[in-house]
Amino acid sequence: MKNPLEIIKVKRAEAINRILGRGYFSTKRVYVGMATCEIAAGSADVMEIFQTAIKNGLVDVYLSQKGCAGRCNLEPTVEVIEEGKIPVKYGLVDAGRAHEIIERHLKKGEVIEEWVIQ
Amino acid sequence: MGDSVTTNQPIEKRPRKQVEYNIILCSGPSCLHNKSSELYTEIVKQLEAFNCQSKVEIILSGCLGMCARGPIMVINPGYILYGDVGVNDVHDIIKGHIVDKTPFSQKVIHEDHLFNRFYRVFGDVKFFGKQMRIALRNCGIIDPEKIDDYLSVRGYEALAKVLTDYSPAEVIHQIQDSGLRGRGGAGFPTGLKWKLTADAEGEVKYVICNADEGDPGAFMDRSAIEGDPHSIIEGMLIGGYAVGAKKGFLYIRAEYPLAIKRLEKALTAAREQNFLGDNILGSNYSFDIEIRLGAGAFVCGEETALIQSIEGERGMPRPRPPYPSVRGLFDKPTLTNNVETWANIPVIILDGAKWFSTIGTKSSKGTKVFAVAGNVENTGLVEVPMGTTLREIIFDICGGIPGNRKFKALQTGGPSGGCLTEDSLDTQVDYESLAKAGSFMGSGGMIVMDDTTCMVNVARYFLEFTQNESCGKCTPCREGTKRMLEILTRITDGRGEVKDIEKLERLGAMISKASLCGLGRSAPNPVLSTLSKFRNEYEDHILHKKCTTGSCQAMLTYSINDQCIGCGACIRVCPVNAIKGIKRNPHTIDSELCIKCGECMKVCKFRAIDRV
Ligand SMILES: Cc1cc2nc3c(=O)[nH]c(=O)nc-3n(C[C@H](O)[C@H](O)[C@H](O)COP(=O)(O)O)c2cc1C
Repeated sequence: MKNPLEIIKVKRAEAINRILGRGYFSTKRVYVGMATCEIAAGSADVMEIFQTAIKNGLVDVYLSQKGCAGRCNLEPTVEVIEEGKIPVKYGLVDAGRAHEIIERHLKKGEVIEEWVIQ
Repeated sequence: MGDSVTTNQPIEKRPRKQVEYNIILCSGPSCLHNKSSELYTEIVKQLEAFNCQSKVEIILSGCLGMCARGPIMVINPGYILYGDVGVNDVHDIIKGHIVDKTPFSQKVIHEDHLFNRFYRVFGDVKFFGKQMRIALRNCGIIDPEKIDDYLSVRGYEALAKVLTDYSPAEVIHQIQDSGLRGRGGAGFPTGLKWKLTADAEGEVKYVICNADEGDPGAFMDRSAIEGDPHSIIEGMLIGGYAVGAKKGFLYIRAEYPLAIKRLEKALTAAREQNFLGDNILGSNYSFDIEIRLGAGAFVCGEETALIQSIEGERGMPRPRPPYPSVRGLFDKPTLTNNVETWANIPVIILDGAKWFSTIGTKSSKGTKVFAVAGNVENTGLVEVPMGTTLREIIFDICGGIPGNRKFKALQTGGPSGGCLTEDSLDTQVDYESLAKAGSFMGSGGMIVMDDTTCMVNVARYFLEFTQNESCGKCTPCREGTKRMLEILTRITDGRGEVKDIEKLERLGAMISKASLCGLGRSAPNPVLSTLSKFRNEYEDHILHKKCTTGSCQAMLTYSINDQCIGCGACIRVCPVNAIKGIKRNPHTIDSELCIKCGECMKVCKFRAIDRV
């Protein structure tokens, strides 16, 4: 019989496979902060905008929620990670900014410098 | 407070930080041995060669825990990890990463190993550069509602390791050796508490996670649960195994609905995967966790009151001994730890007590999470290694005081703590140093105050809180805090009496000594500490009926100066007809009638109204 460490290794491999199956290796991974504080600042709407965009045909994007990283006064935050590039974290993302991030960054690859948390 | 503040100030208007990158160079013993100091010199040289030294900050860190791949270097933004860095690689790394903005791939370490332990810093160097994330290692990184995400960052591996390789006594040894102390306030050595519970007689034992989090302004535990619930569950599972418990309770306040939802989801997912339940992962260890909701009474965060509350009684503290580790929940030996304490456990097991104990100061190991609120540029949640100074937290990480105001005081430890002044800013964060400076580590609330804050008013605010939350069981706390609050209210209302300071000190000392639990014993702290550090403000209020910051409304006097042209605007807005005067002649305010609402000041176009 397998010992717990061996079992957990299998479970991890299965979990990673499932994550990959959800499209983790898309060109772009987008993380939206969804803790109580982020939601209070409006992140649920932002999340919905990304979800809708994907439903309406935005491809190559892996969308996930995440907890609070502690950046209270700049919430909602959205991170965009691309393989081989330096990750980008946007602050104070409202509906308008979310739409622009989709149009400019996710579709055209342009980093919108002025909203990046430095 | 603090966590949900939205500012309308666009980011573009913020002063742009000069530093664009930071290079974290591991200077742990092993990396040093591998010549990280020569690397340092080389990095400085190369930065100068590429003329980018002004936008790069070099930080020397303690051991990053990847000794096998050392020397280690991390470049932020991006949290790109370089390993086996030789002096000859520095040129390529700096050129690639900082000049050409593409990481130098040959030396990049791709394993997720460190991700388990440190926060990936995506930009935001100033805020994250000096932080170190252990308890919050996954917060803001993984999807808290997906157990797969947790598993992918070595989730539940610590549990499996314990079940495979360690006896309960060995687990306790690890925790003792790590030097971990309770993060819920008192800083009791965690390993010792585990040992006392394990050694206590009895077949049935319990484990409790204290997620009551009642300090005003504190939200560390909520964020930890919302961002990474499985870490806490895993910690409790390991604790249960170590002390011989089969059942755990997670006591959380009902005001945290999202945290509760995520916990429930996590518990269900963990049961499905047999991390909870019978014969966990094929072992003979069985354990399950039940959530219990608190109604948000501050006193229910106190261990013995919490236990009564879980038992279905009114949440009131009971005298100790017997200590809960001997006789606690349902009269059985019970181990209670705070959320953050639990969150540290899996890391200690996975990466070793030895590694953990290299972080921090002599008496306080590891990191501490603080919720920083009040008059700082960046309010937020920060996790720093013990030993970081308060100045670094307030000024380097949180960006200092906004609006060109001056720092005045810092309240740590919430309503049980004290305030610290400018000259304590270089105090290192650890249990003993903070206590020595006159405050208290507490659970991690940190309220920064600028020079517009009236300290008497602050003391009154905290005392009003504890007075409200006093459960009423013991007289010193119930009656004593009430009398103190009366005196403080009188002082801020401008009716203070000469003897009041002395009375406050006497009452405070008495309440501290005679109260049953920590709530009462610490309730006078904010008053006593402001009295010792800002006595002159109390005296101004009492003797001169003056509040220099202008916060205590009742003490302000409004008067009209010779700029007055007699336009009558103030007369028209004064709600109590306290202003008299003939048109085109200077007016006057009858201070007996004046209710100090400030309306006259708002409408006066000639700055003719003074307020002192
Ligand atoms: C009035 C009062 C309120 C408390 N509130 C909390 C709380 O909200 N969360 C917490 O973890 N500990 C709280 N404590 C401390 C607990 O009694 C206990 O020491 C702690 O849960 C032990 O866990 P630790 O050793 O991991 O810190 C409180 C204590 C007092 C006296």
